[in-house]
Amino acid sequence: MNKKNKITFSLITLLLLGGFYIYFEFYSYPRMDINKVSTEIKTSSKNLTASFIKNEKNANSIYKGKIIEVEGVVKEVTFLNNRNTVILYGDNKHSGVLCDMQSNQMMEIKKLAKGQKIMLKGVCKGFLKDAILLNCMLINQQSNE
Amino acid sequence: MNRIIILLSLLINFIDADNRSDQVITRQGQVSFFSYTSVENIEAKNNQVLSIIDFSKNEIAISMLMNAFVFKKSLMHEHFNESYIESDLYPKATFQGNIIDFDPLAEGIQTKMVKGTLTIRDIAKEVEIKTSIENNNGTYLITGDFEVVVKDFDIKIPPILAPNIAKIISIKFRFEYQPYEQ
Repeated sequence: MNKKNKITFSLITLLLLGGFYIYFEFYSYPRMDINKVSTEIKTSSKNLTASFIKNEKNANSIYKGKIIEVEGVVKEVTFLNNRNTVILYGDNKHSGVLCDMQSNQMMEIKKLAKGQKIMLKGVCKGFLKDAILLNCMLINQQSNE
Repeated sequence: MNRIIILLSLLINFIDADNRSDQVITRQGQVSFFSYTSVENIEAKNNQVLSIIDFSKNEIAISMLMNAFVFKKSLMHEHFNESYIESDLYPKATFQGNIIDFDPLAEGIQTKMVKGTLTIRDIAKEVEIKTSIENNNGTYLITGDFEVVVKDFDIKIPPILAPNIAKIISIKFRFEYQPYEQ
């Protein structure tokens, strides 16, 4: 009986340790695939920047930390600092939407042209001079091609 | 009357042109920080840092979102935002300062001191940072590094995690500025 207890105990410990290992190694990486999470809010780049300019606090409470889908027109595509970034025109000349793309989007964004209308999805982080979206991916590509 | 109009329009044009050449901007500055301890190394990068320099006064302003730092592990990201920086309460870190004795017209690399106020978690600290500034035909590249003492910003680290986080964090930055279209 005592021996049996020991075996079950060590088995449980092993399972727990294994579980922790798997959790830390695999699940704690932030490389979330935006493709697999569903959109919480849909908007346009004009609306998004306008609401941040109008009332940043309010807009933060609506958009910050949320997965949002944004429709907008490409202003610029940059590869600065080894990042793939798409900037969308905003409500005015000075503000836009800065979208940091997932690394698997590289080929797709190279095909983008200034002035092209696109739709993308990402996590809204807040606003500086532009609204900032991370982990972005293009969606509805088929309608552009 | 006509002359006045011409003069005025010239003046406006002049001010306009002046403004354009006097300010440079980056929306994609990079700031990274490192914490080295014997237990673990933590590194995070923010690639969406905003900065504007006004050369007429040699003033520099920087602003960044604390929750836009990207970590290797999401647990680190969570601790950083929720427990240490409390980015819901203090979403931005800012720097406001002056580049000392800087000549924006000189081409090439200059090493200058930047003096100013660094604000994290609403706590302001005076800092002096040695930076390298490269003027390449009107675009400017500013790079450098400095250190921040965790305690200075009233960041509370629970005793159990204290060995994992360095007391002094090193910070690196790289800003590539473009002329600012008014």
